[in-house]
Amino acid sequence: MPQFALVIDLNTCVGCHACATNCKEWNTQAAFGPLSDFDPFGRAPEGVWYNRVFTYEMGEFPETQVFHLPKSCLHCQDAPCVPVCPTGASYKREQDGIVLVNYDDCIGCKLCAWSCPYGCREYDEVDKVMKKCTLCIDRIYDETLPPEHRKPACVLTCPARARFFGDIEDPNSEVYKLIKKRQGFVLFPDMGTNPANHYLPRQETTINLEEYEKHILKPDNPLFLEVLRRHKPGFASKSKQEQPQEHYAEQLP
Amino acid sequence: MHPPFSLIFFFLTAGTSIGLFIFVYFIEFLKLFGKGQGLPKEVVLLSGVISLVLIGAGAIGASFHLGHKLRAWKAIRRFRTSWLSREAVFSGAYGFTLLIYLVLKYFEISPFFEHFFGILTWILGVLSGFSTAMIYASNKFVLEWNTGITVIYYLLMYLMLGSSAFTILSYYYNLTYTGTFLFLTFLFVSLGFGFRLAFNIRQFYIKRPTLNEALNLPHNRPIRVIDRGSTTENFCTKEFYYEKGKQMLPTFIPLAYLLTFVIPLFLLIYVWITGIINQYLLWIIYLSVLVGSAIERWCFFVEGNHVQNLFYGLYPEEGYKLRKGFMERKETRISLYG
Repeated sequence: MPQFALVIDLNTCVGCHACATNCKEWNTQAAFGPLSDFDPFGRAPEGVWYNRVFTYEMGEFPETQVFHLPKSCLHCQDAPCVPVCPTGASYKREQDGIVLVNYDDCIGCKLCAWSCPYGCREYDEVDKVMKKCTLCIDRIYDETLPPEHRKPACVLTCPARARFFGDIEDPNSEVYKLIKKRQGFVLFPDMGTNPANHYLPRQETTINLEEYEKHILKPDNPLFLEVLRRHKPGFASKSKQEQPQEHYAEQLP
Repeated sequence: MHPPFSLIFFFLTAGTSIGLFIFVYFIEFLKLFGKGQGLPKEVVLLSGVISLVLIGAGAIGASFHLGHKLRAWKAIRRFRTSWLSREAVFSGAYGFTLLIYLVLKYFEISPFFEHFFGILTWILGVLSGFSTAMIYASNKFVLEWNTGITVIYYLLMYLMLGSSAFTILSYYYNLTYTGTFLFLTFLFVSLGFGFRLAFNIRQFYIKRPTLNEALNLPHNRPIRVIDRGSTTENFCTKEFYYEKGKQMLPTFIPLAYLLTFVIPLFLLIYVWITGIINQYLLWIIYLSVLVGSAIERWCFFVEGNHVQNLFYGLYPEEGYKLRKGFMERKETRISLYG
């Protein structure tokens, strides 16, 4: 059974909040909007967001790492928010696994939010219904859009290309391959929710500079001037004409 | 968790309504087998009307925590999976069958149907209380609630409210059951006290998840929240973490214990020892249980910690046992001599 989901690369996410902002911008004006705001230009702006970016620091000083965690509805394969809904307003689509809320049936009892271990559902105080990420279902099936734009707004906007969208059950999809290749993980694996959204772990990049030391061009390298002459022909002829040889090193930035 | 006052109101009204009916019909039921003398018709009718009015008021009050009150009828749809749906169905059915029972009792049409609806109402009342308790107890993301103690204690509170209310009724109508119900009130308040203590003590032994588990990271890496995604509060931080309530909890928990258990138990022992029974004492016992239960319910909500608070760094750590495998932070040692 297909299961559409987001795969987020924590290695490249820079925490710019563009995904959250564009999500809000698209969804507040599209089919599932508006997403209500209170005091938007005041001291304590507050409102409904489908997507929020958290920042965590891991390790102990000085060996710390900061990483950003964009968190929206994870479209769990065993979504605990669906069976608790007394009206059936909260449901999971069979054809693509997206968890949605039918606003016409939602009574605003908030029990689904109580049953979500990720805190991904937000109650809209104006519409009096529960709202959550729809995986931009109004975009991904919109045939008036060019095929390359039929993706969630957050995926299209990510400047670091850290977000991917697709069917995680399809072995030919990009997201399936990414999860396999980069050992994608899920949040709260012990809760029995089987989330669909995956995260690609951070990879520590270490470069041993000693190995490259001999290749680095430094002024105290005996071959320094020789290398410059060979690789920059203009440099050698120009320098010979204008300045004495011993001053070349001083001119370098 | 943020305490919704409409749910506390529902608890008080439904608790008194169902608790009262449980005892009233139980006495009537025993009469079928020749045990006891039953109750005068007017007592059954009066208590029945009180129960009916209270469950109606409770249902209306509970709807105030809903976003769309007029759609509340749709809550019957997911009876198969949702405890909230079951609660709605059982509470509604309880009120409906109670009305039929009272009509049959008033006109004395048929003893068979009268008792049939009496038994049905009794069962539906218990199921309604059980379903309400299961809404909390089945939530595995609020570990404080996710225990059988929640259900047993919830039903005991219904019985506490019911028995203390029935004692007043019994006293006014000069029934022979006053002594029995003083004992029953003592019994249920004592049991409630025990289970509430167990509920509180259990919280110190819950194996709580950590932020590392939430983020699926190795347990030995210290981690802290730097940014929560917004500069102000949002729905999640307000609904699942009631900061003001957490600050007031050390004051309110002893107050709840005092009013719900200590004062009623003290007064019940006083009545036993001195033999003095008057309406004021009985009213004080009932009102003390009632007000104490309201505060206790408030504490119950505030005590609940939702696991989603982990992402916001608002989940308790100190004073609780950490999960196996969690490595504590290294101590920072400062030495002058290297």
